[in-house]
Amino acid sequence: MFKMENVTVQINEKFILNNLSFTVPKGQISVIIGESGSGKSTTLSAILGILPALATVEGSIFFNGRNLVALAKQDQAALRQRHFFTIFQDAANSFSPTQKMKQQLYGLTALRMGQTMAVFLAKMKRIVQDLHLPDDVLERYPFELSGGMLQRCMLACALYLEPAVLLADEPTSSLDMLHQQEFIQQLKRLHSQLETTVLLIIHDLDVAASIADFILVMKNGEIVERGQVTEIFEQPKHPYTRQLVAHHF
Amino acid sequence: MRKERKMPIFWLVILGILVGLTLFSSWLVPFEPNAMDMNHIYEAPNGTHLLGTDQLGRDVLSRLLIGGRVTLFIATLSVVLSSIMGIIYGGISGYFGGAIDAVMMRILEAFLTIPSLVIVLALQAIMQGSVWRMAIIMGCTGWFVTARIVRSEFIRLKEIEFIHMAKMFRTPLWKILFHHLLRNSLPAIFVVTIFNFAGAIFTEVSLSFLGIGVPPSIPSWGTMLYTAQNDLLVGAWWMGLFPGVFIFVTILCVQAIGSRVKQVGGQTHV
Repeated sequence: MFKMENVTVQINEKFILNNLSFTVPKGQISVIIGESGSGKSTTLSAILGILPALATVEGSIFFNGRNLVALAKQDQAALRQRHFFTIFQDAANSFSPTQKMKQQLYGLTALRMGQTMAVFLAKMKRIVQDLHLPDDVLERYPFELSGGMLQRCMLACALYLEPAVLLADEPTSSLDMLHQQEFIQQLKRLHSQLETTVLLIIHDLDVAASIADFILVMKNGEIVERGQVTEIFEQPKHPYTRQLVAHHF
Repeated sequence: MRKERKMPIFWLVILGILVGLTLFSSWLVPFEPNAMDMNHIYEAPNGTHLLGTDQLGRDVLSRLLIGGRVTLFIATLSVVLSSIMGIIYGGISGYFGGAIDAVMMRILEAFLTIPSLVIVLALQAIMQGSVWRMAIIMGCTGWFVTARIVRSEFIRLKEIEFIHMAKMFRTPLWKILFHHLLRNSLPAIFVVTIFNFAGAIFTEVSLSFLGIGVPPSIPSWGTMLYTAQNDLLVGAWWMGLFPGVFIFVTILCVQAIGSRVKQVGGQTHV
């Protein structure tokens, strides 16, 4: 479904990702864990095509059999637009502070699908209710909403778009415990409803253990271990994974 | 805290009164500003001429109000022009980055090393003449700081997630530039524009005071100060005092409003 093959990313002659290869199984929730600076966010940026201009990418990123890296930029963007959605770490930065949520959510969802505002409102109001967001959320500005509400707004977009792949970079790190749990529940619900393939970057191993089907352990731009949740947390093989798990639990 | 909130309202009211007086000066002036009355030259402020008369018997209050309109018109036009130029230059430099940014910034730094007053003086010497020409010259030389601010705002904003998303979702370039980058840069542009406005008033006054700004036949706060140089020697203190007070209060109001807007901008999300 989704595969990285020998992906190397260099910025200013420094290797950020080093021959990275992994597969994200279709319809599963995969989680990348690892310390800060291990290259987790760069992996996501490489998949999304939002690396800094100075970065060079080698290797292949396959989606449905097509190599994204080999495609023309326009075709890459078209493919991502149709099949991918992403939730960033800081939800406050995911929205323009000077526009109301209605225009922004419309731009992120229905406008991309060529739908009218009326169609958008009819569907989005149902989703907003499902996610327990305030009724007037669409009429508010981003700074009038909490971090948790903004993350749920991003989830609302995902529910609207029903993407084949959902990518998220530390989506729970800026949330308190209560909102973290709520977000995880809603993400699980989205996953079970739509059978979306999910790739998450998560720092907190408790959160990772509670949501993941499959875990990838990353260090210095490489995957050092991969496996089911029970394998990774109960029988870690790589010394780094053992250190991570021991340190946490 | 409460007092601080009241401050901009106070300054806005004062500035509003000054701008209102100059805008509607045609109806408010008690005398025709260029009408000479040789029987009443150098009259100190009195019941008929509230701010006195000048060396040709012209009413100082009437000339002050009409002159204010000229000064504020030059300042406004030059600031609009400099803002447009600064936004375009800084926007291109900040958004495209790389070699384009490097070249554009070196050119800008070269301009910044020369005091803008010197450039204005040189251009004014070549193009000397009307109010319009002066506003254009000031506009063409006053955009450097705006360009730097817009560039830094664009560089900061283009790395934020919502811009990444806009690019990822193939949002048209014009929409990213205008709806996202420019729109979110407006608070910073607004602050720099306010300070540029105060600077433009000062430049007009300085140039006219030096005798190379607005032609002496057109009343402006600067030309009034220019003519007051000699009049002060004969004891006509009101000739220099009142234009000076108007200039001082106007610049003070604009600076105070600008500082407050800057503070508020730093406290909010927008």
